[in-house]
Amino acid sequence: MSEVVLELDRVSIATPAPAGGSGRTLVHDCTLQVHAGEALGLVGESGSGKTLSTRAVAGLLPEGFTVGGTIRIDGDDVSLLPPARLREVRARRLGMVFQTPRAHLNPFRTIGDFMTEALVSVAGERADAAARRAIDLLDEVGVPDPSRRMRQRPGDLSGGLLQRVMIAATLAMDPRILLADEITTALDVTTQEEVMAVIADLRRHRELAMLFITHDLPLAGAVCDRVVVMNQGRTVETLPAGSMRAEARDAYTIRLLSASLPAAEAGAGTVASDAVAGVLAQVAPAPILRVDGLRKVFRVPAATGFGHDEFVAVDDVGFELPQGGSLGIVGESGSGKSTTARIVCGLETADAGTVTVKGEDWTRPARGARGRRRRARIAQMVFQDPYQSLDPRQTVRECLTEAVALHRPKASRPEVTARVDELLANVALDATLADRHPRALSGGQRQRVTIARSLAADPEILVLDEAVSALDVTTQVEVLTLLDGIRRSTGVALLMISHDLNTVRRLCDEVVVMRSGGIVEHGPIADVLDRPAADYTKMLLDSIPREGWVPRRRRPARTGALPSVATSATPVPRGGTP
Amino acid sequence: MSVAQLAGGRVAAVVRKAATRDPLVIAAVVVVVGVAVMAVFGQALAPYDPDAIYVGPVSAPPSLAYPFGTDDLGRDILSRVLAGTAPSVIGPVIVVVASSLLGAALGITAAWFGGAVDGIASRVIELIFAIPGLVLAVLAVAMFGKGLLAPTLALAIAYVPIVARLIRAGARQELGKPYMAALHIQGVGSAAICFRHLVPALLPALFAQTTIGFGYAMLDLAAISFLGLGAQPPASDWGVMIAGGQPALIAGAPEQSMFPALFVVLTVLAVNVLGARVTTWAERGER
Amino acid sequence: MNAGVVRTLAGKLGELALTLFLASVVIFSAVLLTPGDPVAALAGGIRPTPELIEAIRAQHHLDDPVWQQYLHWVGGVLTGDLGTSFVYKTDVAALIAPRIGVTVLLVLYTAVLIAIFGIGSGVVAATRGPRADRAVLIGTSIGMAMPTFVVAILLIWVFARVLGWFPVYGAGEGFLDSLYHLTLPAISLAVLYIAFFSRITRGAVVGQLHAEHVDTARVRGIPRSQIFRRHVFLNASPQILAVSGVTVAGLFATSAIAEQAFGIGGLGSLLTEAAARKDLPVVQVISLLLVVVFVVLNAVADIAIAVIDPDSAKPRRNA
Repeated sequence: MSEVVLELDRVSIATPAPAGGSGRTLVHDCTLQVHAGEALGLVGESGSGKTLSTRAVAGLLPEGFTVGGTIRIDGDDVSLLPPARLREVRARRLGMVFQTPRAHLNPFRTIGDFMTEALVSVAGERADAAARRAIDLLDEVGVPDPSRRMRQRPGDLSGGLLQRVMIAATLAMDPRILLADEITTALDVTTQEEVMAVIADLRRHRELAMLFITHDLPLAGAVCDRVVVMNQGRTVETLPAGSMRAEARDAYTIRLLSASLPAAEAGAGTVASDAVAGVLAQVAPAPILRVDGLRKVFRVPAATGFGHDEFVAVDDVGFELPQGGSLGIVGESGSGKSTTARIVCGLETADAGTVTVKGEDWTRPARGARGRRRRARIAQMVFQDPYQSLDPRQTVRECLTEAVALHRPKASRPEVTARVDELLANVALDATLADRHPRALSGGQRQRVTIARSLAADPEILVLDEAVSALDVTTQVEVLTLLDGIRRSTGVALLMISHDLNTVRRLCDEVVVMRSGGIVEHGPIADVLDRPAADYTKMLLDSIPREGWVPRRRRPARTGALPSVATSATPVPRGGTP
Repeated sequence: MSVAQLAGGRVAAVVRKAATRDPLVIAAVVVVVGVAVMAVFGQALAPYDPDAIYVGPVSAPPSLAYPFGTDDLGRDILSRVLAGTAPSVIGPVIVVVASSLLGAALGITAAWFGGAVDGIASRVIELIFAIPGLVLAVLAVAMFGKGLLAPTLALAIAYVPIVARLIRAGARQELGKPYMAALHIQGVGSAAICFRHLVPALLPALFAQTTIGFGYAMLDLAAISFLGLGAQPPASDWGVMIAGGQPALIAGAPEQSMFPALFVVLTVLAVNVLGARVTTWAERGER
Repeated sequence: MNAGVVRTLAGKLGELALTLFLASVVIFSAVLLTPGDPVAALAGGIRPTPELIEAIRAQHHLDDPVWQQYLHWVGGVLTGDLGTSFVYKTDVAALIAPRIGVTVLLVLYTAVLIAIFGIGSGVVAATRGPRADRAVLIGTSIGMAMPTFVVAILLIWVFARVLGWFPVYGAGEGFLDSLYHLTLPAISLAVLYIAFFSRITRGAVVGQLHAEHVDTARVRGIPRSQIFRRHVFLNASPQILAVSGVTVAGLFATSAIAEQAFGIGGLGSLLTEAAARKDLPVVQVISLLLVVVFVVLNAVADIAIAVIDPDSAKPRRNA
């Protein structure tokens, strides 16, 4: 086999040792080799140590962290190199790209400055030569209009474009290996495909090796030659990317594989909810939720610097959610899916259209706490970030007690306690966790608490706004299974907002595909996902990584940054009775 | 074991732990408690009549009979420092309590209602902020005459924007979090959201700002007395004593200024240390 | 200049005008809020004779409606007619003009000291390891409790009695002599703010040292000093600038304390003296002047921030 450009041999990483003690070991044994021109995937869930190991290679561990074992870059043992030489080795042979390009570019400096900085100060090139090279590189990674981009700042570019800029900048030094740390995790799936296509092109033309760190096993399988699985600080298994399923032996790898089933096979995993829906459809044809001609316009500061632009977040959206049914709304960022959910729950006010729940007009948010409480007994919402969804000062029990007491004001204390215990049992949460604060819970446990809280009101509709997106994939499956169980036992209807078609497929009977505020396609899940009619749906489905997937560049990149209408940053509208 | 014993034991354990881990905090607590005792019992503890002149020699250095020495009128400096504690401490307390309450109310109101209410509140905050505290206090003196009451009230107003800005920003951030949206959807009443969830979230920041504010208020009010606009001689206010000691200082008898100055510095230092430490604890508890 | 900066400039000008207008109303209304007859308030601590009462009524248009009185006052200030001090029996303008120079010099001198030692020690604390950090923390903790008048008496004692290197009284004549005379007053004013700026700088720099874009620069092999200059300090500077305007403006007020302690005849000592003698016309004009200084310096700081960080100029929705 060809030469090894990066080798980690039994690398361990520990936190700084307190006086007299020893630090906590976070990575116990990370062993891997990347050969010249090879793409190696490093896959694991949060806390597996994959990012920490990569940062050790790049010299980005926090101060005081200790590294055991050996790291060799191009044959040089990094622990034996003098600091100045090590800095040069890293600068010239490694290129690193990070998860959040926006955070990893200095917001106050221009793209041109970023592109040329290392060329000038490390490679000693003249400024004008560096600028010409920078423009060529930007062009190579498919950044349109590169000379104009050179004068812009990161705030003017979209995430996908920034990620290309990051990649182009690492190429400036002609590295041997690219360290790619979750580089597409923050991107939409179609943008992810674009970026992966760029990387595939580069690797073909430059024989660039790559260490591809990701939590997304199918993605790693699709873009890498081999995949190393990491769990709790150890590399547990190395698999050829083409035949992971057949060759996996480790129990954790197998669990991970089944949790991250590629789209085409996931349908089999769906619980037989079609039957449920069928029965309900015969009994109660009336929809519990009906949305008609919904429209929402946000005013955003104009790009010119004066006045405001209008940003149409939701445009003529209509759908029905049958009683006990489950409807998924999928779309990429900026599609308006979350805004739609927030209007249904009274967190935003629609500019036009109607929301009807059980024949009642819900278009305007409820006035006053009593009105909101009445609606809360019908519709509840679960949010993406489970930690931020809980008051950090309340224990699990206090949180649930507050919710139960709110909806059962006449219940005695023992009755409330009994109901809280019942809710904990409903979400399969151990009663011993009840006295913990959210910070002492895992992500999955926190999300179970928020689900339990939403069930306290015995709602008939549960709106799930990216409710599993922040969770690890094995945890995602657990929570989705839990939600499916709850739906079957209580008959609650689900309105599920997600960017992830797999998630929707696991839980929903029907799906609405949204793009730029409008609906592109709407129908039963099997029809839409297996026989998509709209081009956009086809493209969405095509950009999901799976075995044998080849990322393609298919559309001109969206060059400008989206107007910032982060709905989660909007204070809750109020003005009800104080 | 009774509950009281249990609690007593726990307090003792916490104190022991804190003393070994954090001697600075213990020192700060000792100073703050000491100053509080002086403020309440100062007059009674004073060995001499603080205002009586020629109780000893003029501008004498510290001795057993006059531990802090005597001033240029032969008054006992220790007695004057003790008697001056209450007037020097009460003003800053009024300033921070009033400004914290007003500022928190204004900041929360602005963040809660947003829109036009926020616009007006923000404008009020900017306006008060534009007039430096010392200037507002001096203006108050020019209107109502010398004395500590008018400057104290003026500073209470002048400190409002600092608190209000902090609380407004904190409240906006907190209200933007999904748990607030969840409470809203649940149908939790506005008052309950505000007082059971929002206010507790803001308390650590408010407490930290209050301790910092106390230090600044103490310095500002002492400065006003030092300028001759606040408490008037022969009152034993610390700022007045520091100013009054200046001739003696140049003549070579620093005690008259130095001892009250030392107490101003120690008090502010102790409160600052305590505030910073409690803030750190609160933040650690949050994470 | 890009659109964001222009927008900030325009927005700031509007805010500036509104704040100035409101502040002038508040300061003007001091006359109305003063207990007793406005004539007495304007006459200050002196007992007015019937002729003086007549003069005050005429000059302040006390027979006109209140809003016209305000317009007369503001109009006067804008056209350089600052009114008359009946206590000093002279034009307010004539009182203020000769005193502005020394106060401005004192404030600038102090600001330079703060910039050098405050920002410098903050950078040291953030970048030179835990021991330096600890040392600066102790120093700034004490500094934060050291008000101007305490530093002033310490310096007076040390230099008047013990060392004698610097004068402890008066403002001096000529530029260099003035600097010499103003050294101790400037130090006494600066100590508290040095500690404050040190803390602010340390916090801002530490925050940026851990910023993700600094990781990018490090992995790219950019030299340390260059990373600090181009990516850490530059990005920390808006936070430092944000408190600079307020601080320098505040110095104009607190300079009163140093002027009092060191016997300097500046704007601050005039303000103090006028307040002590209840000379409202003088206090009003100086207050308004200080508010103008505050508003202008703050606007300058905001514009400087917008030049470094164009995003600071973009208002967010609902903001």
